Amino acid sequence: MSAHAPVEEIGERPLLPPGTTFHDITEDVSRITENPAPRGWWILFMLALGLAGLLGAALTYLLTVGVGSWGNNSPVAWAWDITNFVWWIGIGHAGTLISAILFLFRQKWRTSINRFAEAMTIFAVMCAGIFPGIHTGRPWFDYYMFPLPNQMEMWPNFKSPLMWDIFAVSTYFTVSALFWFTGLIPDFATLRDRAKNPIRKWVYGFLALGWRGSNRHWRNYERAYLILAAISTPLVLSVHSIVSFDFATSVLPGWHTTIFPPYFVAGAVFSGFAMVLTLLLITRSVFGMHNLVTMKHLELMNKFMLATGTLVGYAYAMEFFIAWYSGNPYEWHVFRYNRLAGPWEGDNAGPLWWAYWAMISCNVLVPQLFWSKRMRTSIPVMFVASILINIGMWFERFVIIATSLHRDFLPSSWGYFSPTMIDIALYLGTFGLFFTLFLLFIRWIPMIAIAEVKGVLPQADPHYAPPPGSSSGGTDSVAPQGGAEVSHA
Amino acid sequence: MWRSLDEKDQSAETRTEQAQSEFGRTTAAGDEMVDASSLTGESSGFGRRGFMTLSGATAAVVGLQACIRRPVEMILPYTDSVEHIVPGVPMHFATVTARRTDALGLVVTSHQGRPTKVEGNPAHPSSRGGTDVWAQASLLDLYDPDRSTIAFSKSVKDLAPTNPALRRASRAQVEQELLSAVAAHKANAGAGLRFLAPPSLSPSWMRVRDQILGFLPKAQFHTHASVHDWNAREGATVAFGQPVHAIARIERAKVILSLDCDFLGTDTGSVASSAAFAHGRRVRSGSDPMNRLYVVEPTLSNTGANADHHLRLPASQVGRYLRAIAQHLKEVHQIDSAGVGPALGKYDPSGIPNEWLTAVTKDLVENRGRSVLMVGARQPGWVHALAHAVNEGLGNTGRTVSYAAVQDSQEEHPEQSLRTLVQDMSKGAVRTLLILGGDPVHDSPADLDMAGALSKVAFSLHLSDRRNGTTAACNAHIPETHELEAWGDLVSRDGTYAVQQPLVEPLFHGMSSLELLNVVRSAKTVADGAISGHDLVQETLKFRMAGRVPNFQRVWRSTLHRGVFRRGRPIQPPTVMTGPVAQAVQTGLAQAAKKLSKDNLEVVFAPCNKLFDGRHANNPWLLELPDNVTKVCWDNVAMISPPTAREFGLSNGDMVEITVGPNAVEVPAWVQPGHADNSVSLSLGWGREGVGRYGKNQGFDVQGLRRNGQMWITTGSLKPKGTRYFIAQTQDHDSMEGRPIAIDATQEQYKNDPIFAKKKSVDMTQVAPPLWKTEDYSKDAIAPFHKWGMTIDLSACTGCNTCVVACQSENNIPSVGKRQIARGREMYWIRIDRYFVGDDENNPQVSVQPVGCQQCEQAPCENVCPVNATVHSPDGLNDMVYNRCIGTRYCANNCPYKVRRFNYRAWHGYLDDPMANYDELPEIRKMQYNPNVTVRMRGVMEKCTYCVQRIRRSHITRENEGREYRDGDVTPACAQACPTRAITFGDLNDSNSRVARSASMDRSYRLLAELGTRPRTIYLGKIRNPNPAMETHASNQASENQA
Repeated sequence: MSAHAPVEEIGERPLLPPGTTFHDITEDVSRITENPAPRGWWILFMLALGLAGLLGAALTYLLTVGVGSWGNNSPVAWAWDITNFVWWIGIGHAGTLISAILFLFRQKWRTSINRFAEAMTIFAVMCAGIFPGIHTGRPWFDYYMFPLPNQMEMWPNFKSPLMWDIFAVSTYFTVSALFWFTGLIPDFATLRDRAKNPIRKWVYGFLALGWRGSNRHWRNYERAYLILAAISTPLVLSVHSIVSFDFATSVLPGWHTTIFPPYFVAGAVFSGFAMVLTLLLITRSVFGMHNLVTMKHLELMNKFMLATGTLVGYAYAMEFFIAWYSGNPYEWHVFRYNRLAGPWEGDNAGPLWWAYWAMISCNVLVPQLFWSKRMRTSIPVMFVASILINIGMWFERFVIIATSLHRDFLPSSWGYFSPTMIDIALYLGTFGLFFTLFLLFIRWIPMIAIAEVKGVLPQADPHYAPPPGSSSGGTDSVAPQGGAEVSHA
Repeated sequence: MWRSLDEKDQSAETRTEQAQSEFGRTTAAGDEMVDASSLTGESSGFGRRGFMTLSGATAAVVGLQACIRRPVEMILPYTDSVEHIVPGVPMHFATVTARRTDALGLVVTSHQGRPTKVEGNPAHPSSRGGTDVWAQASLLDLYDPDRSTIAFSKSVKDLAPTNPALRRASRAQVEQELLSAVAAHKANAGAGLRFLAPPSLSPSWMRVRDQILGFLPKAQFHTHASVHDWNAREGATVAFGQPVHAIARIERAKVILSLDCDFLGTDTGSVASSAAFAHGRRVRSGSDPMNRLYVVEPTLSNTGANADHHLRLPASQVGRYLRAIAQHLKEVHQIDSAGVGPALGKYDPSGIPNEWLTAVTKDLVENRGRSVLMVGARQPGWVHALAHAVNEGLGNTGRTVSYAAVQDSQEEHPEQSLRTLVQDMSKGAVRTLLILGGDPVHDSPADLDMAGALSKVAFSLHLSDRRNGTTAACNAHIPETHELEAWGDLVSRDGTYAVQQPLVEPLFHGMSSLELLNVVRSAKTVADGAISGHDLVQETLKFRMAGRVPNFQRVWRSTLHRGVFRRGRPIQPPTVMTGPVAQAVQTGLAQAAKKLSKDNLEVVFAPCNKLFDGRHANNPWLLELPDNVTKVCWDNVAMISPPTAREFGLSNGDMVEITVGPNAVEVPAWVQPGHADNSVSLSLGWGREGVGRYGKNQGFDVQGLRRNGQMWITTGSLKPKGTRYFIAQTQDHDSMEGRPIAIDATQEQYKNDPIFAKKKSVDMTQVAPPLWKTEDYSKDAIAPFHKWGMTIDLSACTGCNTCVVACQSENNIPSVGKRQIARGREMYWIRIDRYFVGDDENNPQVSVQPVGCQQCEQAPCENVCPVNATVHSPDGLNDMVYNRCIGTRYCANNCPYKVRRFNYRAWHGYLDDPMANYDELPEIRKMQYNPNVTVRMRGVMEKCTYCVQRIRRSHITRENEGREYRDGDVTPACAQACPTRAITFGDLNDSNSRVARSASMDRSYRLLAELGTRPRTIYLGKIRNPNPAMETHASNQASENQA
């Protein structure tokens, strides 16, 4: 018996370095959760916790004083609140995309990063979920948005895209969390089996839901995973489409655009990949996981970013084309003078032009670097690029929301937006929450899907190798794919 | 509620005191029943019983439209309900308020004894139902938490004003002290006894004054007012030999030449003038006659903003311009105005565009007898006199100008009168001085040392509504009543006599100027039986009737009911006397200022179109109100022209130091398109320390630059300070960006293309119909409901802001403070958008447009609300359900008109304190709230409702009366307050209603109709009437048409 090795003649490359064994993987991933946390982890964790504390303080102040503590005004009634919401939701897209869509397309390279990306998704959606809840004037009445039968005979308005948002985001969160947890079950079992501390054993045992690695378990597990992947796949497309409806269904020039659903999805994937990459590069170097997350993975992600970034660039161009082609003077004014025009055009330019140009430089120009193989395989370049892309994607949402709002139909009502300390503290605070959760995840949960990575090792795909001289093949003796070996390891 | 004012932070012992005083008062109720004068008397505090006494009195004579207040004769316990008083049903009382030389009739709404809303009195000729911003905002002056609440003097300790009994006692003592001070003058016939009061329009006041002078012949009454109409009076005296009021009958004029006269803004009689002006602008077709307005002035006033042609000329040159007009009339048209021609001297057209002589005089001459020249109050007397002559020469006298006798022939020139007083005070010739209102220490000319002189007066008493600098310099003080608290009477410019009826018992035991004079006259304190203002006014009315009407009580009641006693009649037009006018003109021209330049700038003062002379300086509605032209809130600015600004390198908000003689003030500069070069315009009333919590140090005090004899127009220099000052505005984009928003056309264009407005905005026949079925609001579909709609005639709207304040008052709209305005969080439900049109920064045309909720039938705000908090009513109104609103603000984002306002903070009670809420609002301010409108809390969206509370009240009234809706049953606050009747409201389904007829006019259009919102508010395009012979606006007009 021999394993299926990459066929070099057709360009296949090994996903993991040759010679990696199942045990190597189990060790490499599990020990991070078993060994004492490195000093770097503690420093980062304290920083993150501090920022999360800032979030708590900012939220307390906000709820005490009201949304007037933000810079929002008339006409800019939404600003950083919804910008942050859309941005975090967008970041949450990479996880499901990598887990679900790439899974269905049998992209095996995803196994090294999917756990990581899914966790990021869940935490990002949690950060995003804060904003719709607190951006309301009277958050203690937020429950009016849920279809709860009540004595006041109130019922939500299902015509409102905000209602669609609520359902889209909560569905997305639920499915993503389920998907993530399902994928974790065999790995929790591995940790349980390795645990020496009884508490640890009990906790992981509880989370492993009695996983024994039997063939039946594996069959059900694979089936469940596949079904969840199938459910998640449309969600990847639907969530940001629906978020984009908040804008697309309105009458506001700059919002009222049919291109928004695909444009938002592409942007979301774009920013999600950028965020995964940023985090992955740090974690990879801190925990020395170069064997598990290889340059091939990174390069593939950069290609994805190049593709989605260009898609987004196309959408930007299309918005302009439609604004011109439609002959709608209000829309044309928004794009031509509030976005494109800078101070070089004198008084014609809107005051938020710089946000638009920040967006264009980060989102359209930066990913073009990745046409070059040298660039897309350079760790420093991709690290800086990924951060710039996330900045650019934040600006994209800010441009859509604030610059469309600040100068719309009647020039008498034109205004400006500038953030307050609370705006900034809340945004930074969500990073605190995100990184706190993320660092806890790294420390306590296998951050790489042990079982799945094992599944893409050549050993996991044993083939019958006919003895020299034998002419007939042994196709019927091919072992079922899967990690049967894992559970016996 | 009132009780809590006093009880709010009182200690245990004051509570005991109060209980005692209350008990004592109750036992004295029998005496009160005998004493008919106790209405404004001292014996009642304002407790529940006080309220009941008022209610009882009102109940006796209540009518449906307007009611009469009579003195208290009984006390009713509230255990039995009072007939005619229905909780929740407001009552209306007619009264009157003073406006320089004019009086403005009002009808005030009262809810359970609290005045909550001011409207104009349709029966009063100065109002005709319209009001101005000051009338609308006067409620907040009444409910000002910083009013003076207690009297004091040297011997009466100045106590914390917590206790009504103490207030009463201290006032009685101060009155007593005053009487002993006055008694000392009996021996010398009043020598050394002086009074200082603003010019009065009150016959009762003058009667009491004359009686005092009768027995104290050497006592003297002095006049002082920071803003007054004396120049006009002087001009009339010169021209006619007698002081008369010349009243422009603008409604009859075809051509109006305003010489620095802001008759649509701060000049006297602006409410009536606005109505008359709009009367000549409200055209139904291109061939309708229309008036034409030329304005010559240094700045861009509200009148200038409405002009067909605006000439920016320094104020000191306006007289020269008028002389040139007179010369031109004589030389070209052979019209020698009253024969003053020879006195006019050499023809000097420098600085005046030729067309402003040729074309304007041609227009005036062609409209002889139908033209009118109006001169602003701040122009010197000789300009007024010359204008009288020109008006006579053009045959306008008696046609477009009518004349009325002045009320007070003894009135003195305010500045001279005050100077005499101060000189006498400094010499020690004044032993007793009564200052009846105002703040002369602050607003006397800068070169008069009023405070120093006051220290030489043995007994000085200041009657005033608040404790200001003058109070501090005096040794006794009595709180003055607000106009809505006191009886009085006022005669308007045309001679109409009206009774000022109190709406509420004096909140702080104050007394009116009239009552204080009466204390002096009768040598008795009020407590000892000096008769009340009510009786004084009745006496006066009896005098005026001279026994001709047998039943006085009936006349009295009808006077109170209608608000006016007898309309005044114009007098025979007097003839202009050539000699004095010629002489005055020559003297005036000789005094003409040096040539203006960068180093010798003209400095012009104007009463503020918000705070006036500073009397409203603690009124948050007015402090926050965006200026008509600059849209600046919470500040006054030094306006300069763009060329002058460039010369000094200044831009908006740069601090400058303006020096006049030895005095200098620092003010932020404001570059005002249309302003005259080398001229600085400053507005009065701002930047004072002691006005109260809201107005304290808001803006900049320029009073220090006004010197004797140069109170209005002077020269000085300007120096940039190099520092910046932050100015808050509600609108900082002045251009319409070529969009069809406030659509206008010239009369010519209108004639050629009657549907220009629809063409410029959107022709609805070209718009594809909606894909889905739209709601049907036709008569049959929505009966018994009505299709409410509103039209706003941009031709009639002058942008005077009255609707803005009226809406604020009606709908409990909070003021938010300067910082929040700067953040863009103003709460106005209706706002006046102001656009500059044209390319010439020195000659902008102005378009104003009131914008409230357009009540779209297809409202974009409604379908985006996740909680159904904004929904359509059966009559098609876009309703806001505050209870349900959670504040996502999505509706505001999706509103194309940006009329939705969000309570980002708990604005009520907010004073830049983020934690403050409604509870922190002073109790007295809460008395203003309209009980029929929810006070919105933090986190809730709000917007114009078409005054839905009035619609529903009218519905209830109709149901009770069992009748059908009649056109005019419902009038929203904005429409009711509008002096020009630019806003019409009613049922669009009733084709005979005024609103439907107005909406069907060919110049009607709907704002942003192309969005398919189907707004219920319909605008009527503005028609301008430029003189085709003038080039000035031709280019502007053309560029605008391309838009």
